[in-house]
Amino acid sequence: MTDETQLFVDSWDPSFGASFEAAGGGPATPSSTPVDPSVEIPAAEWRPVDPAPGVPAPEVVLLVDGVRRIDASLWTAEPDGASYPGVAASYAAGVVRCDLGRGAAALAGARVGRGLFTASPSAGDVVAGQIRYPVHRVGGTGELARLQAAVQGPLTELEVAVSGAARTDGDLLVVDGPLRNRRRLPRAIGYIKTQHSQYLDARLTSVVTRMASGQRSPVFALRTSWGGWSWYLRLPVSTGAPWAGIVRVECSPDLTAEEAIGLADLSLVTLPRFASSPYKDPRAPQNLVPIAGLERRLRAMLGDGRLLHRVLTSTVRRGGRR
Amino acid sequence: MTIELTGPGGPAHEGDPDGAGERVGRVLGTADATPLTFWTAVSPDSYLQLDDVVVTHRELPDREPVTIAGVVTGVRARHEGAQFDSDVFAIADGTLPAQVQEAAEITTTRVDPELYVPPTPGAVVYRAAGDARARALHFDRMERRIPMGMGRDGVPVYLNADFLDGSRGAHVSISGISGVATKTSFATFLLYSVFRSGVLGGDAVNAKALIFNVKGEDLLFLDHPNARLDEATTAAYARLGLSAGAFPDVRVHAPPRAGDASGTPDVSSRMTGVDSFYWTLTEFCADRLLPYVFADADDERQQYTMVVHSVAAHLARYAQPADGGISIDGVRLGSYPDLVDHVVEQLNDDETRADWAGSAVGLGTVNAFARRLIGSKKDLSRLIRGDLATRRPHSINTSESAQVTVVDLHNLPDRAQRFVVGVTLKSEFERKEKAGTAKPLLFVVLDELNKYAPREGSSPIKEVLLDIAERGRSLGVILIGAQQTASEVERRIVTNSAIRVVGRLDPAEASRPEYGFLPPAQRQRALLAKPGTMFVNQPDIPVPLCLEFPFPAWATRVSEAGRAPSETLRSITQAADPFAVIGSGGPADDDIPF
Repeated sequence: MTDETQLFVDSWDPSFGASFEAAGGGPATPSSTPVDPSVEIPAAEWRPVDPAPGVPAPEVVLLVDGVRRIDASLWTAEPDGASYPGVAASYAAGVVRCDLGRGAAALAGARVGRGLFTASPSAGDVVAGQIRYPVHRVGGTGELARLQAAVQGPLTELEVAVSGAARTDGDLLVVDGPLRNRRRLPRAIGYIKTQHSQYLDARLTSVVTRMASGQRSPVFALRTSWGGWSWYLRLPVSTGAPWAGIVRVECSPDLTAEEAIGLADLSLVTLPRFASSPYKDPRAPQNLVPIAGLERRLRAMLGDGRLLHRVLTSTVRRGGRR
Repeated sequence: MTIELTGPGGPAHEGDPDGAGERVGRVLGTADATPLTFWTAVSPDSYLQLDDVVVTHRELPDREPVTIAGVVTGVRARHEGAQFDSDVFAIADGTLPAQVQEAAEITTTRVDPELYVPPTPGAVVYRAAGDARARALHFDRMERRIPMGMGRDGVPVYLNADFLDGSRGAHVSISGISGVATKTSFATFLLYSVFRSGVLGGDAVNAKALIFNVKGEDLLFLDHPNARLDEATTAAYARLGLSAGAFPDVRVHAPPRAGDASGTPDVSSRMTGVDSFYWTLTEFCADRLLPYVFADADDERQQYTMVVHSVAAHLARYAQPADGGISIDGVRLGSYPDLVDHVVEQLNDDETRADWAGSAVGLGTVNAFARRLIGSKKDLSRLIRGDLATRRPHSINTSESAQVTVVDLHNLPDRAQRFVVGVTLKSEFERKEKAGTAKPLLFVVLDELNKYAPREGSSPIKEVLLDIAERGRSLGVILIGAQQTASEVERRIVTNSAIRVVGRLDPAEASRPEYGFLPPAQRQRALLAKPGTMFVNQPDIPVPLCLEFPFPAWATRVSEAGRAPSETLRSITQAADPFAVIGSGGPADDDIPF
């Protein structure tokens, strides 16, 4: 950190305040991941699975999600004349605890983080009003697109941190996105809304796309270091598009196959209930209702983006850094 | 940077350093906060209801902090986090996280010191209790406070006596639907409070009240304790600093029974302690009461007003008292019908018409007058008498009467009611005018003011009432007027009333400008105010106070009446009649004592 490093906020920035969620749609790229489909049902007999009779929905479901937002794009002016892009981002993660027995959904914990993401070797924390953006140094050349992706790291950390919220027996933790390093949490499933990779071969994929609303595929195993037990599930949906309403659910590879099948059955009686309706949510039905509510709350906690942009602009102009 | 979620209002139940009550929330910043109204977000573990009194502070640079106090005039609750109406089902189902947030609209009642700055969003709002509440409602500035009832919070609310007794203002205007608005009950409770709270000090002993009873025999039992009085009501009176009981000193006047030659009062439920009132023909002529026979606003628009005054003057000049009746033109007239017949006869006679009616009056006008006069015979013959002993007490005179004088009108036809009200008010006002001092005070309770002082037209009664409204304050005549619709009452009477009271209102009526002192929320509430709930506006406090006054401690109907007080057990004949008949009942000095 040197006093000579200057920061400039882009006065107009097309990506300012925009959330950068991945677009929906079916899996585009075939994956080379080795898959073992014969965990629950032999691959030759694959068929959609109906909800298992006698599996009660959990009383309490916890859902974890995070949001992020770019508050401003910056440029640094290094003492040596070089210049690096940077983004000031706010992100938040939270848990919503849906007590279906009592009929009450409440925020069970939420955290907000902010950061200045840049490859500049000399930039320091930015303090804008009462808000501090600690510097997160990014390796490499630090072009803008990579900076935005760099926000995901701290956000995931935050999500992991809030996931340990108070658990009760018989509850179910639904993590938005892959489980990552939350595999040790009990009764946790990862909920992947968008399908990028096609793990199954064409014949098995046709079983998946043949599923009716409220059916799931048999459990299969992803034989990779990060993989685990996984299954597809179709949420209640009215359109007949092959991948409409299909999500992938995963659970920890540390579980036994029986435990994974149990979780798959549990997810099938739990998740459809949370599916959102298309006129309320453009990402319906995959964007679950509690998660949409949680995201709204989290966005509110991020603070007003325009206000932060303004404060950042004026702070940086005054050289208010530490 | 980590923000842990806590309750939005922060910890509650902490006291205000300045002695106000618990903290209930914070001024919210999503709606404009102005010096006169602002919104407060209510902490999840607190609540605010309409009419609660709250206080907040605003720090100012280089100045002492400003205390902003107000009254809750609106409350709302909503789901935060819900976007669509149907989200409520998902929230109730437990699938959508949302927070119930209550907010209260505060209308400022006091800014101290008077720096009209808005409260800062985020400032802690406290429930005002004790002295803070009294300050918020300006009770601390009232030197003399008349308890009016309980606020919604169960604590007494007061009326500034300065605005009732004429020191700084006078007159009360009470509006509300008949039956549920409890206008007369509130008027009598206010009187009871004035007389019994000790606020008027020594003046309370001599202060008088004149109450016109227009509906049923409701007000004839003011001196009877209420048999349905329970401990809760007694306790409510005690909280107001009043003892629960009947009016101690009441005199009831009723018109004579129609067609009864002995002049016994026409009452059905109250049999004892009622005096009959009437006017002798001599008084009728000498005091020029004839115009009050034509006291309808309709009458004043007619041409024959000239004739009325001319005939009244003629009667005053030529009528001589003659043993109860009068003698005029050498004829002795012993009753009102006789008088009417005589006047009509004289007017029909070409030779005498000019003497009575003046020379410039057309025959048609005279006939119109005569027709009306004949029409009044039936209504007024029981009130204007020539057949009863002159010395028998029969007049309504509050200065010689008990503290509370009740005049029963409910049995009288409309024209007779107007006559009684007009003549009584005129004589009382003239008496006060002659006395020249404001003390002792005279409170006049008159229901159906829209009938006696309508907005349109003019009549002798309206003139008297206007006189009272405009000059009564300095003469110590306080009008407590009640009406269903203030919009139909003469504007000058309503505007001269320092204290305006509203019970339940008719929806169409509530939207009229006469009720502009009610904020919109209260205007709406007035549509569903239950009996016993009143909104009282007084000049001191910018917001009308909502209050409930206790159930009357005196009987309001015969079924409630407890044991009659001993004074009233004397029958009417014992009280006056036997002595009057033999000519010794009157107080005159020149009677022969024996």
